Amino acid sequence: MASGKLPWRTRSALAAGRAASALSRATGRGEGMVIGGQVILRIAPEAIADLARNRVAALVSATNGKTSTTRLLASSLEQAGPVVSQPTGANLSTGIVVALSDADPTARAVLEVDELYLPQIMRQTAPQIILLGNLSRDQLDRMNEVAMIARRWRDMLAQHPDVHVVANADDPMIEFAAAEHAHVSWVAAGQAWASDSAVCAECGTLLRRDDADWSCPGCGRRRPPPDWSLLADPWRAVDPAGREYDLSQLGLPGRFNAANATMALAATAALGADPAVGLLRMQSVDSVSGRYGVFHVGALNIRLLLAKNPAGWTELLDIMPPAPTPVIITINSDYADGRDPSWLWDVPFEKLRGRTVVATGFRRRDLAVRLTQANIDHVVIDNPYAPDAPLPPGMRDLPQVDCAATYTAFQQLRTSGVPA
Amino acid sequence: MSADLTIAAIYADLLGTYGDNGNAATLLHRARLHGLSADVISIQPGDPVPSQADIYLLGGGEDTAQTAACSALRADGNIRTAAERGAAILAICAGYQLFGEYFPDSTGTRSPGLGLLDIRTDRLAQRAVGELAAAPVPAADSTEPPLFSERFTGYENHAGGTVRGPSVQPLGRVLAGVGNGDGTEGSVSGHIIGSYLHGPCLVRNPEIADQLLRWAVDRELPALEEQAVSELRAERFRTVLGH
Repeated sequence: MASGKLPWRTRSALAAGRAASALSRATGRGEGMVIGGQVILRIAPEAIADLARNRVAALVSATNGKTSTTRLLASSLEQAGPVVSQPTGANLSTGIVVALSDADPTARAVLEVDELYLPQIMRQTAPQIILLGNLSRDQLDRMNEVAMIARRWRDMLAQHPDVHVVANADDPMIEFAAAEHAHVSWVAAGQAWASDSAVCAECGTLLRRDDADWSCPGCGRRRPPPDWSLLADPWRAVDPAGREYDLSQLGLPGRFNAANATMALAATAALGADPAVGLLRMQSVDSVSGRYGVFHVGALNIRLLLAKNPAGWTELLDIMPPAPTPVIITINSDYADGRDPSWLWDVPFEKLRGRTVVATGFRRRDLAVRLTQANIDHVVIDNPYAPDAPLPPGMRDLPQVDCAATYTAFQQLRTSGVPA
Repeated sequence: MSADLTIAAIYADLLGTYGDNGNAATLLHRARLHGLSADVISIQPGDPVPSQADIYLLGGGEDTAQTAACSALRADGNIRTAAERGAAILAICAGYQLFGEYFPDSTGTRSPGLGLLDIRTDRLAQRAVGELAAAPVPAADSTEPPLFSERFTGYENHAGGTVRGPSVQPLGRVLAGVGNGDGTEGSVSGHIIGSYLHGPCLVRNPEIADQLLRWAVDRELPALEEQAVSELRAERFRTVLGH
């Protein structure tokens, strides 16, 4: 890259980081992103700010849909020139510094950012806009409390009064974060999971809800009038002038991806690009960092689905093929999955009735108890991809099997499988 | 009501952050295994709390939700009636804390609890997050058999340390994790069990579920082992304690 304008410390850090990444790849230890990023940031802690200068178009954060929304927005913005983004959804400082260092230094950047890292990355990158999608329970061992993240985001926006925010008006936690901000495009993007925003984050009063509308009887907060809206049957986005954008041709499935696309369209407009042109580019996105991709693993072709919390699972179960098609569910509890899989009891696995579920992953026994109580036929298998795995009858003959997995299991399958 | 027993799940939207639904599901499941019919009624904030349910369940929640739940329960009053007539009650984490004399609100200030358990909760120096394992303790009256014989397993995530008054027994002695913060975990007083065990609690500790059912139907119930649960418990103790 043309790194002439970068400080020498950052330049030498990038060289060292690239060497570390290459070594990691060559020795088969992985994709080298994390180690490369660690080396860069250890030598040059300011590398993100140096690399980001004046070219970060957008930061995207949410509990669910960060990676897909980032990819949709990046595709849309390519109408105006090259765009850099993380290739694998690595959304901590290490992944961000590598994404910025690997690319054309003139390319605009669209970056997804972990919820807890957002205030820090915001300071370092000074983006034009920021997308705030939704907040719900996820990895509570690390995030602790949903309302606490919303408060941190509110404090963050107070320190960046000029940034433009694209925010989901239907999620009261997101509204709380952005309510005091002067420049907001409000998007009625829906909220599939309301259990983490039952009470007002401002005053603690129970919110009043009427379909998508919500208000607080205690302090008067209410859902802001949306600038953009997601409408159903068929899925379409409506802009502030009433123009409709047909979302039925998206390559990504489900209500939640229609919501992600609506957020990305509002962001496209906020950045001065053409949403209609952007939509055509978004339609060609059919797999995002392995999500919804089909991989050959062992003797099976699996469609990989990522789900890591109740809100995500609730929507994902709806896009699986109907019973009696069996499915594989993989539950891990490493750091990036969240250490505590209690949330399995918040997921409506009853929707899978009539199928056999293959329960696997390190926490397959937690899942097995959940499925036992839900009266769902299942088998517990350590490695369902082994040649002699006792899979349900006929499973090996299926052209494709859905495999829903938590984060680390998903990454392991994505990198070990062969794209089919 | 035609069922043998009624289980009231209290304010799941406020006190249900950690899959606490699983406690009601497990009680229903264990009741069926014991040949008992049971109804679960889900009480949302604003609904009246029933005064005549057999078992009451309260789960964990965030600070503002905890304060809101406590105010609503105090205004309603029926949880006090139920506690005073000896109904079986399981209160987890935030639900456990609000049964006491006071607990810390989102700013760390002491907020008055329901005063139904002689416990007091203040902020811990450091949040307790991780696997929690505990051993059962002898009964307060040494001529009585202990309530529990199996180890307890769960996951804790709380910022409160809880001190018990003289009338309150601990549920267990901590083997791994923090629990109350003084080497003990949870509280038992009459037919009220308070605990920091998520997981959910009754999923991973069916012996507690059976004890609540015994109190509710006021007769002995046989021990019933489920293989999937035994395997889960064995895997957790192996991972957390090494045995």
